[in-house]
Amino acid sequence: MLKFTFRRLSLFVFTMLVLTLLSFSLSFLFPGDTVINHSGQINATPTELVQLNKAYQMDKGLFTQYVAYVSHILSGDFGQSMASQSPIRDEIIELLPATIELSLVALLVAMLIGIPLGFIAAINHNKVSDNAILSMAMLGYSIPVFWLGLLAILVFSIGLGWLPSAGQISLLFEIELVTGIQFIDILLSDSPYKWQAFSDASAHIILPACVVALAPATIFIRLSRAAMIEVLATSYIRAARAKGLSFKQIIFRHAIRNALIQIIRHVGLQFANLVTLAMVTEVIFSWPGIGRWLIESIAQRDYTAIQSGLLVLSCFIFIIHILTDFIYAALNPLARGNKYGS
Amino acid sequence: MNLLDIRNLSIELDTPSGRVLAVDKVSLSIKEGEFRGLVGESGSGKSLLAQAIIGVLEDKWHVNADRFHWRGIDLLRLTLAERRDLLCRDIAMIFQEPMSCLDPTTLIGEQLSEAIDDSQFTGYFWQRKKQRKEAVIKLLHKVGIKKHSQCLTSYPHQLTEAICQRVMIAIALARQPILLIADEPTATMENTNQGQIFRLLANLNQLKNMSILLISHDLENLTHWTSTITVMYSGQFVEAGTTEQIFNKPMHPYTRALVDSSTKANLQIPAKSRLITLPGSIPILKHLPIGCRLGPRCPRAQKTCVVAPKVTSFHGHKVSCHFPLFRETRRKYMQKQQVVKGTE
Repeated sequence: MLKFTFRRLSLFVFTMLVLTLLSFSLSFLFPGDTVINHSGQINATPTELVQLNKAYQMDKGLFTQYVAYVSHILSGDFGQSMASQSPIRDEIIELLPATIELSLVALLVAMLIGIPLGFIAAINHNKVSDNAILSMAMLGYSIPVFWLGLLAILVFSIGLGWLPSAGQISLLFEIELVTGIQFIDILLSDSPYKWQAFSDASAHIILPACVVALAPATIFIRLSRAAMIEVLATSYIRAARAKGLSFKQIIFRHAIRNALIQIIRHVGLQFANLVTLAMVTEVIFSWPGIGRWLIESIAQRDYTAIQSGLLVLSCFIFIIHILTDFIYAALNPLARGNKYGS
Repeated sequence: MNLLDIRNLSIELDTPSGRVLAVDKVSLSIKEGEFRGLVGESGSGKSLLAQAIIGVLEDKWHVNADRFHWRGIDLLRLTLAERRDLLCRDIAMIFQEPMSCLDPTTLIGEQLSEAIDDSQFTGYFWQRKKQRKEAVIKLLHKVGIKKHSQCLTSYPHQLTEAICQRVMIAIALARQPILLIADEPTATMENTNQGQIFRLLANLNQLKNMSILLISHDLENLTHWTSTITVMYSGQFVEAGTTEQIFNKPMHPYTRALVDSSTKANLQIPAKSRLITLPGSIPILKHLPIGCRLGPRCPRAQKTCVVAPKVTSFHGHKVSCHFPLFRETRRKYMQKQQVVKGTE
């Protein structure tokens, strides 16, 4: 297991190096001065410019420049936002947890809905319920997320008035920022209105999370259905039946576990897709996350912000990948001895 | 009394171009304490028959029979669930490729212990866990695995094929079955392991009086262990009798060919000469010949063979052939000739 962890960690380090190389080269590709793209200080005075050139080693070779850039990032200095002139690091620390929260809740919803439905479809293979679930999945997959978000606001917020349409929490509650993840902050705070705040925050997250979760859930339905059908046709399931186990025992003890192993790898892959959907959804639901911030930065040509936002988001997605790999290894005894970090 | 008595069991397969009769009216009976072999080429429906008996065939297969009795109980009158309950308690089955028949993600110990049902234990529920563990270890000792603690905490991929097959046999023994169906248990093993597994089965048969139905394509190997043999070809019943009858005096041309194709059976053959085989190969399910399915390959086939022959019994030696290999009485022979002439 130690070897496995080490392999994943080295894979992480090298992937991050390649990603920083990409974002470093973006500074040269974007219009404008390279050092200003690096630092984001568009209104720098000549003396400040000299300092910046020195800090980013602009007079040396490309490799030294890259090393200087990486050391800046490692020390937590992403430069300033060109639009707001505030440090990007602070903005990311404020915004990223909201995105993490939204995407993790959406992932959870997608898995909790998608995987059991897929299993039910596979168990009733070629029956009415199978076809119904499959056609529902097809329909859900083909609905575009921006349209669904607007429709959800129209129906549930404006029409029925059940759920709030925008924001992360009602402005009435004042929650101290500790971890940045709203739910944990609420539970940590000692406000007398803690539980009201909690239920309000839950009401706020339902609509965006469901909108984000729909497309991945349909993919999970198809994945888990295919995996379950495959598992149910294997000879160890037949042997278990001959062993005298009931159908329920076979499903819960053998089939689900083996099917989950096949799905869990795809969950990591789907997560990138899910974060992309979350970015669009954040704009629609005015969710104060990094996705909305990134889209706004793109609109404002805020090159420094685009660079660092890409870096942070891809780092986040990669960490989730590694986590799913660990879960996969924990569930599957065959993967623990795997030779290469694939 | 017969333990298992099957008469005219047919298995049909749903295909896009209509139903295909994969197994055509096969009869099989097993007595208590009998070690019966079921022989045939690959694709002759042996495994299908075994899976139909125990009821684990998929939905696309349709099974029907004229008689299907288990220890005097007519199984055809029971519902599918009742039948499976009854059979799973009394019949156990081991499969070919044991490694793929064990759940790859569950420990051997867990898979073994879930096969033991609670009714075998006495005492209160807090004693169950300990008893269960003891029972599991005892089962492993029974099949000749000495390092039980190491075996229980390993996954199937960490064990060899032969050990896996032993574990499968242990799982099969967990319910104390009366009949054990072994579906080519040694198909992927080398000779020493094969011998060990067969010896284990023979021991169980002799010491525990457990009936065994051993399915194999290897007639020569089978004759060492079995007391009676049933031969199948392409889903049809060919011949059944004691091992001596089948091996020494085969009546069906197909059995004759099977026996002739092994070296030991036929020591008269001069060295380095070709073994005798039937021309052609087993027909595929899409293009089954009518009547006796051996017809196109049979050296003794005549016109009558387009009609499926009835099973005739000679002192317990059953054969399904119009022209069996033995001297018929003059009268019967004349009758047959007349039938042949009549069809011309």
